[in-house]
Amino acid sequence: MDYDAVVIGAGMGGLSAAAILAKNGFKTLVCENTGQVGGCCSSYDHEGYRFDIGASVVELAWIIDELFEKLGKKTSDYIDFIPVDPIYGFVTEDGRRFTYPVDVDGTREVIAQFSEEDARAWDHFAEVGSEAINFAFGKVMTKPMQTMKDMMKVGMEHPTLLKYFKYMILNFESTLCKYFKSDTVRASMSLQSYFVGLPPALCPGYLAFLAYSEHEGIFYPRGGMGAIPEGVAKAYREFGGEIKFDARVKKVLLDGDRACGVELADGTQIRSKMVVSNINAKTLYLELVGEENLPAWAKRAIKSYDVSISAPMIMLGLDKKPDLDAHHTICYSTLDEMNRVWFDDYVNNKITEAGFMLISWPTHADPSLAPEGHHCLNLVTLAPFNPVEGDWDDIREQHLEMQLDAMEEKFGLDIRDNLTVAKVNTPKDFAKMLLHPGGAVYGLCNDITCSAAFRPRVRSKAVKNLYLSGASTHLGGGVPPTIGSGVVAGDFILKDFG
Amino acid sequence: MSKKAKRLLHVGMLVGLVGVYLSLDESTKRYLNHIGKQVPYLPYRYFI
Repeated sequence: MDYDAVVIGAGMGGLSAAAILAKNGFKTLVCENTGQVGGCCSSYDHEGYRFDIGASVVELAWIIDELFEKLGKKTSDYIDFIPVDPIYGFVTEDGRRFTYPVDVDGTREVIAQFSEEDARAWDHFAEVGSEAINFAFGKVMTKPMQTMKDMMKVGMEHPTLLKYFKYMILNFESTLCKYFKSDTVRASMSLQSYFVGLPPALCPGYLAFLAYSEHEGIFYPRGGMGAIPEGVAKAYREFGGEIKFDARVKKVLLDGDRACGVELADGTQIRSKMVVSNINAKTLYLELVGEENLPAWAKRAIKSYDVSISAPMIMLGLDKKPDLDAHHTICYSTLDEMNRVWFDDYVNNKITEAGFMLISWPTHADPSLAPEGHHCLNLVTLAPFNPVEGDWDDIREQHLEMQLDAMEEKFGLDIRDNLTVAKVNTPKDFAKMLLHPGGAVYGLCNDITCSAAFRPRVRSKAVKNLYLSGASTHLGGGVPPTIGSGVVAGDFILKDFG
Repeated sequence: MSKKAKRLLHVGMLVGLVGVYLSLDESTKRYLNHIGKQVPYLPYRYFI
């Protein structure tokens, strides 16, 4: 046996599980397809600027603290988090601009400019959101939710969760509309549904409280988002853990119905007692394990999942400070428009001309990411993997121009004259680089029928000694949830093999 | 309970559910329709 554990992918879930295993004496190897750690939460250098590949900020940072505590270490020794405030700047099509600060009372004052009634509703929303995050959903982020028994156990331990059952029946849109009457306020809290890959109409209602969770504090790591996985990887290496870069895993080796190692693209076979996957569950089961090795029920199950949204990222370097007000700027119109973009454009494989986008401004928090006086911006939009407009390689430049036009014409943000660098990472690039089927940025679809016990299990039932981490398993995409999945995977393995 | 009473109870529950569904706003209906289409897959998803 070469290793106790082989981990496929150095994303946040895989690294977190690997660090826990290495800390507990497991001889562990992480095989990473690219030349760096982090997956969707990584950064890269390009013409003097440091750009983030995907994730742009971190909230619920206590999950990272919990991971480092499990490792017997202090987060601050590995990652330097910079608090981000205000949370969002908003730019609307009618030229209105405003910001939401982290402070709940400060946000109430902003909302009061649009509606006194909504300002009062915000107090209630924040109260419910705080309870939901601190006493209900926050508690389940590092707990297994594989079976009804797990779910009932969590429900018994945290009965507050039961209060939120109604928000599983309601959708994100109805939940927001229940609290807020102003179209401006509703729209300002709607984009968060796309943070889990669904429009407000299809996203479960309990996720509407994401709009509050950011008020618990959001952070940006000094040195770029890649500093988070680099910090975890450093701790992992201190325990003797190994990482093999440019090592693409071609298949999971099986001994009967048990995983017993991996085979790399160059034909190298690495034997291990267990395999931990940090890649998309569809790729894992259908390609690496192989359909022919799965029972019929497992094939049917894994094929039934839709992958999450794809989203091109545009990296921009500027030679002056952009005319923005916050680390994140949301350019938007209305809540209805956010749904229309999905139902009329995205599902019909059309690139939307609505122009709604999220602009991240990492140099607002950390100026060291760009040459002095320069700045980095990341533009995230929603666009299909196979657009009817043509192949992504052919429409890359067209997409860039389209988004710059939207910034200028719809939202009055003209940056063309100050552009020094412009690079488009398309969904096809993500598929190639991060092995995400369909360019999916959050693993699998995150609706209620693909959540908790209905999301692929951390401890696989279809293949013994195979464990899953990352966005495809409970709790879904995002930095804290994927770390949570790694913690759960680590705990399972310690229980099974410790 | 007689067979007839049971049948009436079931019909009553069904009518009640349809009534609740019809009283929902369009957004919630669209959400529940979306979930409804996924329900046949749940028994498989539960075990994967």
